[in-house]
Amino acid sequence: MVSPLYLIVLALAAAFLLGLLNPERRGRAYAVTLVALAGMTLISADWLWAFTMEGIDPVDVYTAGAEPPFAINLRMGLAEAALTLLVNLTGLLSALYLKDVLLAGGRRTMAVLLISVMALVGIILTRDLFNLFVFFELVVISSAGLVLLANDKDGGPASGLSLSAGFKYLIVSQFISAFLLLGIIFAYHATGTLNIDGMANASLGLATGGTIAFFLMFMAIVAELKPFPANGWALDIYESAHPAFSAIFSAATGAAALYAVDKLLLIGGAEWLPIATGIGIVTFIAANLFALPQTHDRRLLGYSSIAQTGLVLVVLGQRDLLGDSTPFIAFGLLISHAVAKAGLFWLSGLLKNRQLADWAALRQRPLLVFAFVTFTAMLTGLPPFPGFYAKWELVHQLAGAGQFTLLGLILLGALIEAGYLFRWFGYLMKREAPVETVPCTGHKVGPVLVAVAAGWALAYLWGDLAGGLFGRDNLLLALPLLFALSFLLLDWLPAWIKNSLAIAGMVAFFLLTWGEYDPLRLIFAIIFLIGGALTLLASYSVHGRRIGFYPAAMLMYAGMVMLIRATTSFDFFAAWELLTVGSYFLILRGKHSEPHALSYILFSLGGAFLILAGFALAAAGAPQFDLASLAQVAAPAAPWVFVLLAVGFMTKTAAIGLHIWLPGAHAEAETDVSPMVSGILLKAGLYGMMVLLLAMGKQQLYGVELTHVLLWIAALTALIGNLMAVFQEDAKRLLAYSSIGQMGYALFGLALMNHLGWLMALVFVINHYIYKSMLFLAVGGVAKRTGTREMYKMGGLIRLMPLSFIAVLIGIIAVSGVPPLSGFGGRWVFYNAIMSAEYRLPMVVLFMAGPIAFLYLFRLIYTIFLGQLKDELRRVKEAPFWIVLPQMIYVALLLVFAVVPGLALRHVDAYLNQFFPEGGLHWGGGTIISDYGYWNPVAIMIIVGVIFTTVFALLLIVNRKAQMVKQFNIVFSAERPFRPETTHYAWNFYAPYRKAMGFLTQPFVTRFWDTLADLLHTAGDLGRRLYDGNGQSYGFHFLAFVVIVFFVGGI
Amino acid sequence: MIKRFIALTLLLAIGGLFASLLLGYTPDSELNQTARYYAERTSPDIGAANIVTAIIVTYRGLDTLGEVTVLFLSAAIVGLVLALGGKSGKTGRGTVPVGELLTTGTRYLAPLIMLLGVYVFVNGHLTPGGGFQGGAILASGVLLLLLADPLKRFSHVLIATIESFAGLLYVLIGLFGLVLAGGFLDNRFLPTGELGALFSAGAIPLIYSLIGLKVGAEFASMLASLSESETS
Amino acid sequence: MMPSIAQLAMATGFILILIGFYGALTQRNLLRMIVAFTLSGTGVNIVIVAIGYMHGRTAPILDATVNAADAVSRVIDPVPQALVLTAIVIGLGVTALMLAYALKLHEQRRSLDIAKFTELKW
Repeated sequence: MVSPLYLIVLALAAAFLLGLLNPERRGRAYAVTLVALAGMTLISADWLWAFTMEGIDPVDVYTAGAEPPFAINLRMGLAEAALTLLVNLTGLLSALYLKDVLLAGGRRTMAVLLISVMALVGIILTRDLFNLFVFFELVVISSAGLVLLANDKDGGPASGLSLSAGFKYLIVSQFISAFLLLGIIFAYHATGTLNIDGMANASLGLATGGTIAFFLMFMAIVAELKPFPANGWALDIYESAHPAFSAIFSAATGAAALYAVDKLLLIGGAEWLPIATGIGIVTFIAANLFALPQTHDRRLLGYSSIAQTGLVLVVLGQRDLLGDSTPFIAFGLLISHAVAKAGLFWLSGLLKNRQLADWAALRQRPLLVFAFVTFTAMLTGLPPFPGFYAKWELVHQLAGAGQFTLLGLILLGALIEAGYLFRWFGYLMKREAPVETVPCTGHKVGPVLVAVAAGWALAYLWGDLAGGLFGRDNLLLALPLLFALSFLLLDWLPAWIKNSLAIAGMVAFFLLTWGEYDPLRLIFAIIFLIGGALTLLASYSVHGRRIGFYPAAMLMYAGMVMLIRATTSFDFFAAWELLTVGSYFLILRGKHSEPHALSYILFSLGGAFLILAGFALAAAGAPQFDLASLAQVAAPAAPWVFVLLAVGFMTKTAAIGLHIWLPGAHAEAETDVSPMVSGILLKAGLYGMMVLLLAMGKQQLYGVELTHVLLWIAALTALIGNLMAVFQEDAKRLLAYSSIGQMGYALFGLALMNHLGWLMALVFVINHYIYKSMLFLAVGGVAKRTGTREMYKMGGLIRLMPLSFIAVLIGIIAVSGVPPLSGFGGRWVFYNAIMSAEYRLPMVVLFMAGPIAFLYLFRLIYTIFLGQLKDELRRVKEAPFWIVLPQMIYVALLLVFAVVPGLALRHVDAYLNQFFPEGGLHWGGGTIISDYGYWNPVAIMIIVGVIFTTVFALLLIVNRKAQMVKQFNIVFSAERPFRPETTHYAWNFYAPYRKAMGFLTQPFVTRFWDTLADLLHTAGDLGRRLYDGNGQSYGFHFLAFVVIVFFVGGI
Repeated sequence: MIKRFIALTLLLAIGGLFASLLLGYTPDSELNQTARYYAERTSPDIGAANIVTAIIVTYRGLDTLGEVTVLFLSAAIVGLVLALGGKSGKTGRGTVPVGELLTTGTRYLAPLIMLLGVYVFVNGHLTPGGGFQGGAILASGVLLLLLADPLKRFSHVLIATIESFAGLLYVLIGLFGLVLAGGFLDNRFLPTGELGALFSAGAIPLIYSLIGLKVGAEFASMLASLSESETS
Repeated sequence: MMPSIAQLAMATGFILILIGFYGALTQRNLLRMIVAFTLSGTGVNIVIVAIGYMHGRTAPILDATVNAADAVSRVIDPVPQALVLTAIVIGLGVTALMLAYALKLHEQRRSLDIAKFTELKW
């Protein structure tokens, strides 16, 4: 290893050497620049290798042959090596990216870039306070210069914008350096040294004037982190500078400044930590809030950078509490932010226009879309990236120490950030692409791809580190996840090959592992894996390559499989996030699904954060725990854990109040996706509820029985879901609302907390999977053929699409719970369960929901398949083979399940005995006996069959003289209808009912959430007006920041 | 008005901070540990009569290298900024004719000023003064030349060569210290000589001369850039 | 007690800083703002030098009057002197830079009013 001094020497020597080269031979100067940066990168990498692999100790480097504090010394340790590597690599990649600009700008520009990187390295290495100041000034000056690299749309030289941004930066930096110098000189006076470690030992705070001296220094250095409100200048720079410089400014400068703050905190000691935390969290929330109404991409990234830096500052401020895991958390967050932000800034340089929606142009290049996804996932802390591990640890430690306010604020800020990032991704995938070609030059795409590779490598590394620290398996080694990710590499294959691979993989995984599940989990495993494979059959109907579909779908299935296989809270949560993200990508594929996918991911992430908080609260300081030990959570925390987890899971089951994402998401999804996200995905939430209820059972909060509350929620969900379904015109939305109602039933069964209730819930799980998948496929097939989902535009399709008709007919019989199909089995168990439970009132509500279901189900069959055939639909054909085939399999399954329900339920019934020994069923031959009666499926089937044939035959005889009415045999009463569809019999079918019960279907909940979102937006929009663009205001902001911290911090 | 009021309020608070610093300040009666070390060790270790110079060039040499780099950076960026495109349609308003006195004076004074500059930086380790002061004096000579003849053009290549060459040598000398003596920028790879002699204090005179040249060149470069943008 | 000369100098420095800040906050002309910052910069430098001053001692240069042996008791603290040089030079660099920016801004916009450069905001 060479001395770390060579990092500085190399850059400076190269910068000075540039002046000696022939100014016209710019290629040569550029080569010198790159070589110097590459050399610096290598030196840092070498050190990092030595620290991590060989485990050497940190090295102090003395200059001038004298010991500190008499001469300046540098230190190279693990943190320094990692940070300088980050800085140098960012500098090198940005220099590559800037090839054209640097060649045009000449050697002086290159020298400025080199010195800027060198100064950042200096900030990280130096242990001398005044030397820190010198390096900071170098950073300020070089940044002010590099801002000017901005190119206008035509690639020309800097506009006045970047010039004014640079000037504003200089204004603020003048204030900052005055404070820094005053602080340093008084600190020197108080301690007699300029050495950071020396000053830390001399306990500066105790000396006279020491506190204020430190305060001044601290404010000055923290100001380089762009804290709220003293950060308007930074945003202007982000908006106007060249993206390659912004990458350095965000990733490298941010990291270096954070490290400087870390060193200062060493001097200040523990009493300054709360102040750092306070500044950090306020910045984190404010910046994220202000980012919400942003439409300019780079300014948005600027806000996000500021927010992320604030979050890392919070971590530094909590280091007393976080202890040894501070570096793991801080670096996890910092490195995720740095890599992702640099990557995003580089990406932004490939696009010509600056509005967020203009990023739709990126769709031309799937690889770059993947890069965007990687970066977004890193920023939002999704698994398997470092931010995820960091978030987990942070939340657990904060919860363990009872820091709930801070915890809540962090999660709130993170949710807002996820909101604008995913909204942006929605724009990217769904908005109309501007007419421009995204250039694919190597020196610009290269850095982006390096960032992507670095992101995944870091994901592996953090998984590995977490394994060492907390004894976990690396997420990136989980077989299901690897299987899903491998589809990224196979995405060039035609869809049918990938489909076959996916089906084979899922079935094979089931066959390999089915012996490992208990009966409860086995049911879910069958639905997730075999059921998933079955719905995938429908995907054969799609031709082409279908880029992006399989990675997303497999990610969702991988998440679900990992969910049921998880035994610890960590694995469970990781799986939960994976399935959420996978399903989000799937849902987003629908044509008009942009807003719905966004609300889906926001509700899901919000729910996930609640689950995270719940787990953290339950863990009580431990890094993770066995799911089974949820039962042992002690009294004061237990009901809160229950509430957090239950609400989290209910976002997925779409309980009333949290349901508004579901109708749009399910209805707008692609034909073969709807059954996946409805029939299968919703079960993940139920599974979570089951795990929770099995472990924690009945909990009381302020004397209220929480399962009782759940009962009410479930009953209302069933009622409102069904009611809403009645008034839908769109067939898929109808089915979606119906799912809400069905989930209400299942939740109700679970909340009953007795044997039959659970059995009923499981019957619902199975039934709902079968018939909802079938109905969505059938309706999807019809919609595909007719080109519409509005039911009143259809009619009379029974002859043209007989198979779909059969599927829908069987489906609605099953859903409505009339004999003889399996739905009746569910109802039968349900009525028995009710008899044995204590709560009557919610049951009445649930009862009412039953007949309402008939109304909408009837409509499905009547308006689509019966009645008059529309003229324009005369040439409609049966749905494609691959969409019909799974439906027919489902029909067969329903019949089998109807005749021999014991096949699955018997084992579950026996299994449930260990939890609810009372009130089980008796299985005698073909008859099932409960405490209140018996049920013989075969007999019922026969009886119903006989009745049906008799009545049908009678009808045929009675109606044999009936006349067919022609389609146009209707009279408008001399009235020309304003909207023709209003005359259709199927339009507003249940108008009378709407009059009677419509008030229940007012979108109160939607309005509530809309208002909330509006409020956040308005708050952000008002708040950001603080940054009025006037350089003097930024000066005011900085001084106000200092004064506010002084008074609020009580210094 | 309200702006002034807010400014006054904020500054009142900041002034309060300053006041408490001022009131809490007690002058030292003895040198603190760092200063004591310098006072005691400079002469035997470094061999420089001017302790401040020893601190600047050797003990805190890294700061000084940074300082030189700041000037280098400023000069480079000033050049970049002024070379920017934009609405530079403005033509010079013509130059006011320069007086006889100034031109003649310049002819005699400029070489003397330059010489003084060289003297100041060469003797930096002995007397108050040094590379920065000397460099600034050199640059004031250049300024005088520019005042006498605003249209005068200096060779940018020459200036760039001087500043880069001096900078590069400075870094190299620092490396000599690292390799041959106790650390980066250690001056003692050359003999420290006798206290008070011109050729003493190891590499300090060399370094300070290079700094002087470099600072002079950088100021000259800024002045040249500014004067060109003014009249072009 | 009469304030010592160091305290007087320091007070002067602080007042200069405040005056400079006030000017920078209230003067809208770019050039005046730069001048104000130079003022506050000078104030900072005075404070630094004042910190190093010790009553009754001389400059830290060894010569005929101050020999190496009794330097410890004869000279003032040399560190602030060294620091102030660096601070001055850096301040100069930044000032030069600000002037160049102001010049260019004026050239592009024909205005030196800081309130006119607010396209970047929110």
